Amino acid sequence: MFRKILIANRGEIAVRVIRACRDLGVSPIAIFSEADAGSLHVRLADEAYCIGPAASSESYLKIQSIIDVAKQGGAEAIHPGYGFLAENAKFARAVSAAGLIFIGPTTDAMQVMGSKTSARRAAIAAGAPVVPGTTEALKSLDDARAAAARFGYPIMLKASAGGGGKGMRQVANELDLRSALEAAQSEAASAFGNSEVYLEKIVEKPRHIEIQIFADQHGNYVHLGERECSIQRRHQKVIEECPSPINDAGLRARMGEAAIKIAKTVNYVGAGTVEFLFSDTTREFYFLEMNTRLQVEHPVTELVTGLDLVCEQIRVAAGAQLSFAQDDVQLRGHAIECRVYAEDPENNFLPSPGRIDFLRVPAGPGIRDDGGVTEGDEVSIYYDPMISKLAAWGRTREEAIDRLRRALDEYAVGGIRTTLSFFREVIRDGEFIEGRLDTGFIARFNERRGRTPTSRGSERVSESSVNQDIAIIAAALAFKRAQSKSYGIEVRQTDSKWRMTGRASSMDNFARDRSGRF
Amino acid sequence: MKLHATIAESQIEIELHEQGSQVLAVVDGRKYDIDVRILRDNHYLLISNAQVFDCVVEGRPESGSTLDVIVGTGLHAVTITDPKRLRGAPAFGAHGDGAARIVAPMPGKVVRVLVQVGDSVEAGAGIAVVEAMKMQNELKSPKSGTVLTINAEVGATVNGGDLLAVIE
Repeated sequence: MFRKILIANRGEIAVRVIRACRDLGVSPIAIFSEADAGSLHVRLADEAYCIGPAASSESYLKIQSIIDVAKQGGAEAIHPGYGFLAENAKFARAVSAAGLIFIGPTTDAMQVMGSKTSARRAAIAAGAPVVPGTTEALKSLDDARAAAARFGYPIMLKASAGGGGKGMRQVANELDLRSALEAAQSEAASAFGNSEVYLEKIVEKPRHIEIQIFADQHGNYVHLGERECSIQRRHQKVIEECPSPINDAGLRARMGEAAIKIAKTVNYVGAGTVEFLFSDTTREFYFLEMNTRLQVEHPVTELVTGLDLVCEQIRVAAGAQLSFAQDDVQLRGHAIECRVYAEDPENNFLPSPGRIDFLRVPAGPGIRDDGGVTEGDEVSIYYDPMISKLAAWGRTREEAIDRLRRALDEYAVGGIRTTLSFFREVIRDGEFIEGRLDTGFIARFNERRGRTPTSRGSERVSESSVNQDIAIIAAALAFKRAQSKSYGIEVRQTDSKWRMTGRASSMDNFARDRSGRF
Repeated sequence: MKLHATIAESQIEIELHEQGSQVLAVVDGRKYDIDVRILRDNHYLLISNAQVFDCVVEGRPESGSTLDVIVGTGLHAVTITDPKRLRGAPAFGAHGDGAARIVAPMPGKVVRVLVQVGDSVEAGAGIAVVEAMKMQNELKSPKSGTVLTINAEVGATVNGGDLLAVIE
């Protein structure tokens, strides 16, 4: 096993990898930009190195600076997390060239799967069904026009180097093609440094179902079942579950087998995810892409299989055999994850950066929160706005939903807007509860909300008169306190019993800490 | 202390009488006996008639500025004004001359400006694209009209609330 691992990432995923390091007795090394100097992932690490200014192109994407500090700190391996350099074959190659181990697949596998067009060719070679579309990048607007006409509108433009919904545009007709192509290319260039875009026909009302696979350096391949990731906005997943509400063992076995075949074409090693589109009407599935990294939604698979995917990644990179065989993989119960973003759901999901001045994270039976921030932290404009992943496990999907609903109501974030309020509504939505999911879910859900403002607000209306009054009272109290302060009057509440006991017990703790005995 | 509150477009009068942690509040004539615990700056626990309300107040508590108040899981926008300070303040809901101001909704970078001064635009037409947190957001004109001014330059960093363009 490694002694030291450098984590080439930030935020909640860096924290997640640090936790795996701790479990394995490995010393974690963090890197940070000037904007992240005091952030949680730095505080939890044993060593930390500043690798540049806030802009990720000057810090988290600086290959040489990262390798330099890895060597300086004596790291033997680098875990890339997801995003940033996780799927950058050049980075993986540079890591190996420096005599370090890249925790992930081989550079060849990354290169083939890193381009969505060559990945499609690999899937075809493995005999897997693919979505109709081009297998090469579009060369020009005319090329795009001709291809779109060949496959028929609506079509989807996708960045060859893409992921996370960036550089993706749906096009309904030829009129919109030019601006969509320009926008997709520009976004792709800015997000991935590669403006190549290709084209796919749109599968109607598809479910997005993906298979988690795992392979070691000794030729063992297993799949860990599926995740349903149909609930997306701006082509970005926001809620994921394992298993899919379809929960069809035969389908799972077929998709798992196809995923392993695709992974074998590139001699895959480590954790990988093969994404498929699935049509409820035809019961057919199509290869979409393969992600050669850990996925954001890995916790739901971990909750249902009982495995730790990050620890397994590290063990496999260190040369160990997979710690489980296909027959050992049992799906138990159901797990659902919500991605908590610093975005304003009431304002078209616009980013909402700022200081988190209040944070209450839920806990209790079946709840897991993988967060990257604490109270007082700043959510910066420079990076992805995801601040945490909240997951719930239950014996059945119903129980998981009940627990997730409870946890979402318990979760409180102040100072910035988050997607929590949106999830609280989704989890109570009839279509969601029945598991009737496809990638158009959010569009329909938003339409339902817009059409029936009264039913959406009904809960609010009944509780609202009192809650509105309470809101006014709280605001007036805050106003009064601020007024007194600005006049130099110190507002002090008469010390309540609560406060006194709270203070006394913290004094106790302090005394005990000092004496070093518990 | 008597204050005016605006919530959900209605104006309501509120009166507070504080005695230690006990507060008698009269909201639009409705009386509440409340036990108030200040848990932290801007974090209040209100217990009224054994009902628990966990409240977080966000924003600068100044006369006329809007506060976001989270009560439990619900978000309420409340504007408190001190009637003694109303003199000289602009009238409520005062609007400009019907010009639409395109304002950066968050801090970010201007990556594209899609119109020029003097252009005629339809309602819903894209005016500028601002990138933040790796996502590009197109800002659209809320109305049809003519582009009067453009303050946005490609590559410029903008703060939330910065005026980017005016459509008349």
